[in-house]
Amino acid sequence: MTDFSRVDLGHINLRGSAEDSRFVDGATKVLGQSLPLAANTLTQSLHRIYWLGPDEWQVVTESDRAADLVRQLEAALAGQHVAINDLSGGQVALQLTGTDVPELLARACTLDLHPSLFGVGDCAQSGLAKTNVLLGCIGETPVYEIIVRRSYSEYLLRWLRQKTHSRAGSVSS
Amino acid sequence: MLLIACPYCGERAETEFSYGGEAGIARPKDPHALSDEQWADYLFMRKNSRGMHRELWNHAQGCRRWFEVERDTVSYVIKECYEIATPATSRDNQSRAD
Repeated sequence: MTDFSRVDLGHINLRGSAEDSRFVDGATKVLGQSLPLAANTLTQSLHRIYWLGPDEWQVVTESDRAADLVRQLEAALAGQHVAINDLSGGQVALQLTGTDVPELLARACTLDLHPSLFGVGDCAQSGLAKTNVLLGCIGETPVYEIIVRRSYSEYLLRWLRQKTHSRAGSVSS
Repeated sequence: MLLIACPYCGERAETEFSYGGEAGIARPKDPHALSDEQWADYLFMRKNSRGMHRELWNHAQGCRRWFEVERDTVSYVIKECYEIATPATSRDNQSRAD
C-alpha cells in the first residue's frame, strides 16, 4: 500500500564553496546541523539538508521558519561569495510511504531505488515521469520525499494518483 | 542507453544529460582581431572525429553542471568522464594525438 501527501514546508537553496571553512562553519552554526558534503546524501535533525552539487544544498524546514533562517544565513554569511534563496513559493514537497514505493517510482525513473542502494539518508536529483525532481529517502518505513517545481506538482500528483488508483494527496496539510 | 558517470553525482542514465558538442574549444581572447573566416571557424567548424571524441555534457536533471566526456563516436564506449576544470593541456595532447 502506498500513501502519499503534499507537505507544507519551507525550502531554501544555499550555495557556497564546500572547501571554504568560513562558509561551511557559518552555515553549520546557523542551521544547527552539518551540511552533507558527500554526494547524493542528506542530513536530518533540525532540518533536512540535501546535497545538490559540490557547492549547492537544499534546506527543507518548517514553513514558518524559512524566512527567519534566510535572514540569519544572510547575516552570518554577509560579504562571502554565497547565494541564499527562499524557494518556498516555487517548490512543493510530496512524501510517499510504503514498501512498494520503489517499485512505483521505478516505473518512471531511471535510478536504482532498491533499498540496498538507495536507503535512508540517500538522495538524488533525477527525472520522474518526465519532471525534474529531488528525491530523498527520509525514513525507515520507507518514507520518500519528492521535491518538485510547484507548476509540475499537480501533474505529478495526478500521475501518482493514477498509478496508485487513489485520491490521496489532494489536500495540502 | 548510455550510462554516463557524472564526476559529481556518479553513474546516471543518458536521459538525465544534455549534449554540449565538442570540448576544448577556447574562445579567442580578442575576437575583434580575427578575420570573418577565423571567427566562423571558431563558431561553426568542428572536428566531427571518427573514434575518440572529447565532448561536453551537462547533467541537466541532476547537479546541472558541465563536464567533459571522452567517448568513441563509433562504438559509443565512454573512456573517461572528468571535471571541466581539469587542466586542458595534458588532456589536449593526449586526445589530439589519437
